[in-house]
Amino acid sequence: MNEFYRNISDALIMLDGLEKDLNIRHFTPNELKVFYTIVTQSAFNQAGSNISEIVDHSGMSRSTVYKTLKKLSNEGIINLNQSEEDGRESLVTLVDNS
Amino acid sequence: MFSSVLWIIWHFLDTHVLFIAGDGGFFYLPHAARVLCVVYFGYKAIPGLYFAELFGPYIIDPGFYSFPIYMTSLISVLAVPLTLSMLNSLGLTLGHTISSPLNRRNYKHIFLITFISAGFNSLLVNLYLSRNNLSFSNAITDIEQVFRFFIGDIVGTVSVFLFLTLLLKPILRQAKN
Repeated sequence: MNEFYRNISDALIMLDGLEKDLNIRHFTPNELKVFYTIVTQSAFNQAGSNISEIVDHSGMSRSTVYKTLKKLSNEGIINLNQSEEDGRESLVTLVDNS
Repeated sequence: MFSSVLWIIWHFLDTHVLFIAGDGGFFYLPHAARVLCVVYFGYKAIPGLYFAELFGPYIIDPGFYSFPIYMTSLISVLAVPLTLSMLNSLGLTLGHTISSPLNRRNYKHIFLITFISAGFNSLLVNLYLSRNNLSFSNAITDIEQVFRFFIGDIVGTVSVFLFLTLLLKPILRQAKN
């Protein structure tokens, strides 16, 4: 029976490698909402949207948006850069993988 | 069972889903079961796979193949062990560590086995059909069919792998944590 589980485990490791290389990500509903808001906002503002705009357009609480943005940033999906016009403001842009 | 389920899904897509109906040869899903079962469970998976290859067509749609499929199914099932034997004889033994020449934990190595076995399957099955003057009811046994088998096995296997990756994602994620 142990051998059976080892075989299954090897198959799962193989699929995990495929997932990693294809960069298939699993978004939670909150992450999805924030991500779509950023994508929509980036159509209007190429320089990036500030966090207040994302909070307003996503309809989520500021703390949830902050937490989610931090997670997306750690996963390399978005960039959080300081605004040149206002140093207190962070601008959110999508990571360009092209 | 896995192989039979894939055959049923493939048959359903080939005959019922309008935009791909009749083009099932270009995405033959059951080849994924041959590859996965033989690579991960060894040669003892062959009898079960062979039974599944016969079970699908005979039970679900007996008229699907216009010729007895005992030999063609056997050739198809043996395509993966043949590939592994060939690679083994070339010094590429199958293992599960990073130092194994052929690592079954590496999907690129599994794709290599898929490509070679798809080649063996397409050539040998069509050679058998051609030498015995057999053909599918609506197709001619020719080089185009060899090509279709080859591409179909590869595309089908990749599709199943991608589907499994998405389906098993929660398990993969849990295993990592």
